[in-house]
This record gives sequence, C-alpha cells and structure tokens, in this order.
Amino acid sequence: MSGPASDETQPVETPARPLLPAAAGPSRKAVSLQHAAALLARRRAWILPLVLLIELAVFLPYSGIRLDSPATALTGLKFYTGDLLSQAAPLLILAGGMTLVLMTAGIDLSVGSMVALVGCVISTFPGDTAFWYTAVPLGLVLGFGLGLFNGLLISRMDVPPIVATLGTLFFYRGLCSVVMRGRENSPFYDVPGYDVLGAPLGCLAIVLVLAVAGGWYFRHSALRRELLMLGGNRVAARYAGIPVFGRLLGVYTLMGLLAAVAALCASSRDGSVTASWQTGLELQVIVAVVLGGTRVDGGNGSIAGSLLGVLLIAVLEEGLRGAAVSELRLILLGGLLLGGVWLNAVTERAEKLDSIPIPVDV
Amino acid sequence: MVEQAGETSETHTRPVAGGMVLRPGWRMTLGSRYPQSLRRRLLLLLLGNLLLAGLMSARLSQEGAGGISALMSGFAPNAAPRILAGIGLTGIILCGAIDLSIGSIIVMAGTVFGIGYEWGQPPWLCFTACFVTAWGLSAFNGLVVRWLGLPAIIVTLAGLTFYRGLALLLADQAIEHFSGQIGVRIEAYHIPGKHWAGVLLAAGVLAGLVWELCGRRPRQWLAVGNSPEACRLSGLQPERIVHSAFLSGGLFLGLAAIVDVTNRLTIEPARLARGFELEVIGGTVLGGTNIFGGEGSVAGTVLGVLFLYLVGQSLVLAGVSEYWRTALEGAVILGVIGIDCSTHRRRKLLDELR
Repeated sequence: MSGPASDETQPVETPARPLLPAAAGPSRKAVSLQHAAALLARRRAWILPLVLLIELAVFLPYSGIRLDSPATALTGLKFYTGDLLSQAAPLLILAGGMTLVLMTAGIDLSVGSMVALVGCVISTFPGDTAFWYTAVPLGLVLGFGLGLFNGLLISRMDVPPIVATLGTLFFYRGLCSVVMRGRENSPFYDVPGYDVLGAPLGCLAIVLVLAVAGGWYFRHSALRRELLMLGGNRVAARYAGIPVFGRLLGVYTLMGLLAAVAALCASSRDGSVTASWQTGLELQVIVAVVLGGTRVDGGNGSIAGSLLGVLLIAVLEEGLRGAAVSELRLILLGGLLLGGVWLNAVTERAEKLDSIPIPVDV
Repeated sequence: MVEQAGETSETHTRPVAGGMVLRPGWRMTLGSRYPQSLRRRLLLLLLGNLLLAGLMSARLSQEGAGGISALMSGFAPNAAPRILAGIGLTGIILCGAIDLSIGSIIVMAGTVFGIGYEWGQPPWLCFTACFVTAWGLSAFNGLVVRWLGLPAIIVTLAGLTFYRGLALLLADQAIEHFSGQIGVRIEAYHIPGKHWAGVLLAAGVLAGLVWELCGRRPRQWLAVGNSPEACRLSGLQPERIVHSAFLSGGLFLGLAAIVDVTNRLTIEPARLARGFELEVIGGTVLGGTNIFGGEGSVAGTVLGVLFLYLVGQSLVLAGVSEYWRTALEGAVILGVIGIDCSTHRRRKLLDELR
C-alpha cells in the first residue's frame, strides 16, 4: 500500500486512516459485539427454561386454572399438566430419535407420514381384545419396516437424506390414502385398556422408560461419540473404523420404530384416524430438536435439550388450541424454528470467539 | 471433475493485442458446460421422455384424435409451473443452498392474486401482485440466509410452514366470509395460465438455457457450490452470489406462480401446490444436479421435471385409481432417484476415500 512517496509521476495519496489495524483483526466494535454474543451463549442453558416460563405466564391465565383456593388451583394444574403430557408424548418420543438423526447430519422429514401410516393400518383392525396381540405388534413391525426402508435408501442406495425422506413423506402419505380410501376409522375406544397409552400416566411411563433406557445406553456406549463423528466428518469416521452404513441404517430404523410407538400413543389419545392424520408433525419434531440446541448440519446435539424444546412447543400448542386463528400456530412454529437455529449459530460463533482476548480500554 | 479438467486443458485460447484472451468458441463452452457424464444423462432423459410421450400418444390415438389434442392443450399449463420453478431452483441448488418453500410461496402468491380478484382489482394488477409476491418472498428467503448466516434448508423449512400459515391468515382477514377457497369466474383473469402458458414456458426455458451457456452468474453459482472458501479467497463474495441465485430464482418462480394460479378455477390456500416441492426437487436431482451443489444444469432440470410430469400423466392415462396415485408417484420418484444415486455410489465412495 505504501508506495515510495518520491515517485513524481504517481503521487501517492496518504490514506485517511491506517489500513493495518483493521486488517490485523476485527474492529473493537465488532469484538465487543462478539463478546456480547459470547455472554449470551454462556447463558444458552438458561434461555430455554426462561422462554418456557414466559410462555407459561402468558398462556396459563387462559388455560382455565382457577386460583380461588389452593385446592382448585391444584386440580386445575393437574388437569393442565395431564393434558400437556398426553399432547406432548408423541413429540417427546420422536424427538429423541430425531436428535440422533440430526447428529449424523441427516434429517427425517417422513416421521409424520410414518406415524400416520402405522395409525391407519392398525385402525383397520376390529376393536376388541385381539387388537392387542394382532394390531399392536403389526404396527411396531410396520414402523420398523418403514424406518428400515428409509435407512436402506439413505445408506445402501446413497440417496441424500433430505431427498429420500421428502420422497417417503409423500409415498407413505399416499399409502395412507390407499389404506383408508377416504374413510375415518375409530376402533381405538373399543379396545379394552387401550386408552392407557394415551392417558397422562401411560404417556409418562412410556416416555420415562424410553428416556431412561435410551439415555443410559447412550451414556454408557460409544454410540453418541460415533454418531457425532459421523455427522462431523463422514470420511474420518470411516477411517476410524466406525461402520458408517450400519449406524445410519440403525438410526433411521430406530426412528421408524419410535414413530410406531408414537402412533400408538397418539391414536389412543385422538380416538380416530384419517388419511391426513398428523400432517406437519415432522416440522414440530424438528423445531423442538433444533430449539434444544442440536445442530442441523450434524456434529452436535443433546437429547435433554430436545426434550426441553418439545415442552416449549407443547405449551405453545396447548395455549393456542383455543385461539381464534389456528393459522397463527403455523406462523409461530416457523418463527420458532428460525429463532432456534439463529440462537444455535450465535452460540457456536461465540464459542469459537471465546479464545479472543477482551480488549482493555486504556 | 476429471473429465471437465481434461476438456478445458485442450482449450486453445488465442492471445490478442493488449494481453486479452478471446473467449473460447461455442463448442468449447458446450463441452465444458455439459461434461460427458451430464451429456449422457441428458440423452437418457431425452430418450425416456420421447418413449413416454410415444407410449401416451399411442394409447390416446386408439381413442381417436380428440385425446391427443386434449393432452397437448393440457400440457403447457400443467407442466409449465413445475419446469419454470425447477429452472429457478436449479440456480439455488447449484450454490449449495435449497428452497423447500417454493410450494408455500406459490400459495402466498395465489392468495394475493385471489384477494386482488375478490377486491375487484383489474387483471393486470392481480398478475403483477402475484409475480411480485413470489419474487419478493424468494428474495426474502435469500436475504434471511445471507443476514443470519443460517443453512438454507432450515430457513426455507421454516418458510414452508410460515408462508402457508400466513396465506391462510391473510385470506381469512382480507376476504369477508372466507370459506376456504376463492372461485375465480371471470375469464380475463385466466389469460396467462390458459393461453400464454406455452409461450411463457418456452421463453423461460430459452432464457434459462441461454443464460446458463453465456452468463457469468451461473458459473459463479457452480463455483460457490464447489467451494465457498475458494471463492472467498479469489475475491468473490459467496453470500452475495448465493443471494443472487435466490433473486433470479424468484423471477422464474414468479412466472411459475402466475401460470399455476391463473390456470385454476378455484384457489384453495390449504390444498394449493401440495407436494410441489417434491416434484420439482425430484426432477432437479433426476436431471443431474447434485443436491449439495456445485454440479448440474438447467437443461437437465427441464428434462428431469418433464420426465416426472410425463410419468404422472401416464399413470392417469393407465387408469390408476385416485387413491393409489400419490403413492405410486412417490414410489416412481423414489425409485428413479434411488437407482440414479446407487449407480453413482461406487464412484462417490472412491472419490471420498481418495
């Protein structure tokens, strides 16, 4: 930049401000902004519960809980939590699997359709005691098969996950209409004891069993690290001896199996099933997982965060159920997804910048 | 990649006075723009399309001359939205981004058009509003991707639900006694979809192809798709280039929206353009565009989307029941793309481990 000033033919203008400091590092303002972001990021763990509290504060007054006496408040709260739990159970079940899928840098857009297809197929069985040992096992096997199909497409045939599961989203949904042919089936209330699956306590039991067993296995095996490595760098994972295709197959198959369990819970709760049942469920699951801090392009993620994300969405859904405009739900869901990913990106950048020394004002 | 490098190394550039280099001739351009693997795919798709069209016309000719003319008149209005949107989406995918919200953007454009109709605005104003809405939302997607630095798949996945919800909300608020659908009964509002669809389609395809062969931007999209870091180091601004893909993709999406919306007798925001994104993305991938960017062509997309459209139409012709149609179309798309990906799997694995 600084040419020889003695050159008469080309007078060199002296720059108004020196260029070097700007080139050497980010400007002071930028650094302080980045540090503000870093401060925010260190509070990342606090943000979700905080938002949850705000949501509760906004929606609880409309949920019909009376604060006349402690007794009425308690029963109101009991009903509210029960409602919330049975609404959120399918999401909670699916969110764990989706976290694993996102960790491997994949995505499963077909969960809504898988849940619907399992629900549709088991709804064709008559509602009696035989339902328990015909339809329910068949539903689980079907879910396993649907997930396996996804996994085969992605691992064996090497179709990009987003294309493969976008395809199966429509394929499985199409199969739903083949099974239902425009009808609405509701055998679930006639099956003795089936309502346990959709009741708050049943949901709580299923979710707890899955979370505890899965969480224990996840913690005490190399699976988590393997999946994270798979998502971070697939070639490196292969060189490290991780069976890449087997793991991918396993993750998507597990997703299908969980979808079947979620279908059992949701069908027990809703009581009837149509071909367009549970449309858009995949988006809720993905939003919940992303809000929980899982990176969309793989290599990072936590199941506990995802479960918290589900609660956020469930409270929102529960609060908006009685609202005048149901479309508001879709809009807020889109906004939440964007906000969650943005928060993740800010967090990540802040973690990278943590090593930059804070400039000291003299 | 190897083939491409081999062909460009043979390029004889003639230095002229002033140190400038003449651009290589059209033969070179074609060769480097459509490397051999892509040319082979284009040929296969062309053959497939001709085969399907031949089969369909053979079946229709049994029913008399009326069948073929009905098919021809229905072709442009139905295929044009998919093909035009595919051309726009190709540019976006070439950069390594994606737009999952194209179906919902068309819903928004259609709702704005319907509201204009209900309010008694003149046709030209409604068409303009429809186009501007589609273009603006696509540009907005690009802007969000650029500003927040987020992956495009998530931004547009949010858009997928956001825009449809917004359209429903808008229709609900703007139209009195909104019953879920808007019936457009005046013929003047159907002109672009019913009469100009073929012209718009031809113009769009021609513009896309010419731009792809002669333009600088499509090259830059490919470059960004291959390596944003290399682009940054060589003085290009990847964020700007990706945004430009959304901007120009919006132009084609606007045309697609006008044709699709004005071809319909009723606009139903909750059901309009369902599954649109799958057909377009499926056709684009089928046309040889790498879903992760850096490889592909408009020509391939046009042929790929056309192929999927013809497959769907031949299912209808074969008398498949309505309940089976979605499932079969999904199965065909999955099957074709699956076979396509698995044939390239070996090469990809070897590339990965090199």
